[in-house]
Amino acid sequence: MAKILIIDDDETIHLICRAYFTKAGHTVETAFDGPEGLEKAAAFNPDILLLDINMPKMSGFDVAKQLKETEKTKHIPIFMMTSLKQASNIQRGYGLGIEEYITKPANVEHLKLRIEKFLEKKK
Amino acid sequence: MFDFITESRNFYDYITLAVLLLVFFNTFEILFLLYNKARVERSERKRQNLKRLASTALITATNAAELLPKPATEDEYAAYSEAVASVLDSFEGEIADRAAALITQLGIDAHYRRLARHRTWYKRGNAVDILASFRLKANKEFFLAIFRSETSSEVKYRIIYGLSRLVRDHGDILVLARLLSSLPYLTAKYTEDIFYNVITALKAAGREEEFGLFMRDTMHDESVLKMVKRDCLAACSAAVCEKGRATLLGYYAAFPGEPEILIASLRALAGIGDFSQLPAALKHPDWRVRLAALKFSHLCCTDMLPEVRAMLHDPNYHVRLNAALAFARSGDAGRAVLRAEESSDDRFAAAAAAYALSQEAL
Repeated sequence: MAKILIIDDDETIHLICRAYFTKAGHTVETAFDGPEGLEKAAAFNPDILLLDINMPKMSGFDVAKQLKETEKTKHIPIFMMTSLKQASNIQRGYGLGIEEYITKPANVEHLKLRIEKFLEKKK
Repeated sequence: MFDFITESRNFYDYITLAVLLLVFFNTFEILFLLYNKARVERSERKRQNLKRLASTALITATNAAELLPKPATEDEYAAYSEAVASVLDSFEGEIADRAAALITQLGIDAHYRRLARHRTWYKRGNAVDILASFRLKANKEFFLAIFRSETSSEVKYRIIYGLSRLVRDHGDILVLARLLSSLPYLTAKYTEDIFYNVITALKAAGREEEFGLFMRDTMHDESVLKMVKRDCLAACSAAVCEKGRATLLGYYAAFPGEPEILIASLRALAGIGDFSQLPAALKHPDWRVRLAALKFSHLCCTDMLPEVRAMLHDPNYHVRLNAALAFARSGDAGRAVLRAEESSDDRFAAAAAAYALSQEAL
């Protein structure tokens, strides 16, 4: 089962994703902003990272950039989950090396399946 | 002037009294601030706990309302509505349906509908904002009704925003456009957001092409401000109007002398992968259009390198600089051009090329 780190400033997202993913047997860790997320990513070494873009202190793009530039965290697959649908943002995200760009509102059940499918493929 | 005080026998008594009063007021003020801080923190904690409770109930129960205490205070209503709005913004499917049901079951919509008729305009505005975040179809008629009786423009703009999230067909867009034109133009961002919501709502309803119809109808409508047309195009760009290619091309052709519309059309077309107008835009007499076209030139094709190279000698500084940056983004061929231009006789072009190469090296 996978270790999932969620970086989002909205606690509701933490609660809902945690409930669904934990029920499926995954271990979930959460962070409310970029700096906390970077710290936890290094310590928790997740199999997948769900990342919001609009957050206090640091944007999701900056977090992704830093994760991909750091030796210890560059292997972590990033799923960006955001309400920003513009092509320029999607392009920027993929340009930083993220694996998936998911737009909100998302179906949490589908999200879980997507993550599991991705991890299965990776194996 | 104050001799009568300083010469008074009670002078030191007055001073003592003044100092004591100051001490009293300062102490009172500090105690009041501490009390208020504690009160706000307590209320925030309570609100967060309720939000958490509502989210947990939505996850665990089919009928979340049974698990939750009925809201009674303004804070409780706010906590529930924040939790629901957050779920609706982020998720769809079963959990979103449960959240939407909770709004009616706990009487949250009824509460904010009452507040939307409050005598204070900002309370009405706040209630409209919250109702808008619920995106309940049932609120469409309500929004239209309060718009008719509303006296504050501030609230009217918010009602239109709420309605923009509930658009389902061409008829709804026309109603919205009519309401929007009844008010003074607010800002480009506001109008863009309204049409962005419209496109998103239509996409969700599987009727995106109806926005294309609206855009086509308004193209030559003189009563629609050019700024509004530009904002519609900007919304198309933000929401990626995949089905609007023909209309966007039509706008580009219909307004050759309107740089802002041309720029917005170019951006929207680039967003859906159509770069057909770039060669013409790179030669446009208005530097802003040339600049906008340059921003996408590296994405489309390499056969435009001669045109872009000519722009390194453009009379406008921004165009020269962005032409150089476009080359920097165009791979080895682009960098080779920049290196050649570094020794150009045109010192402006040489400086732009050197700058772009230095940025590339960073």
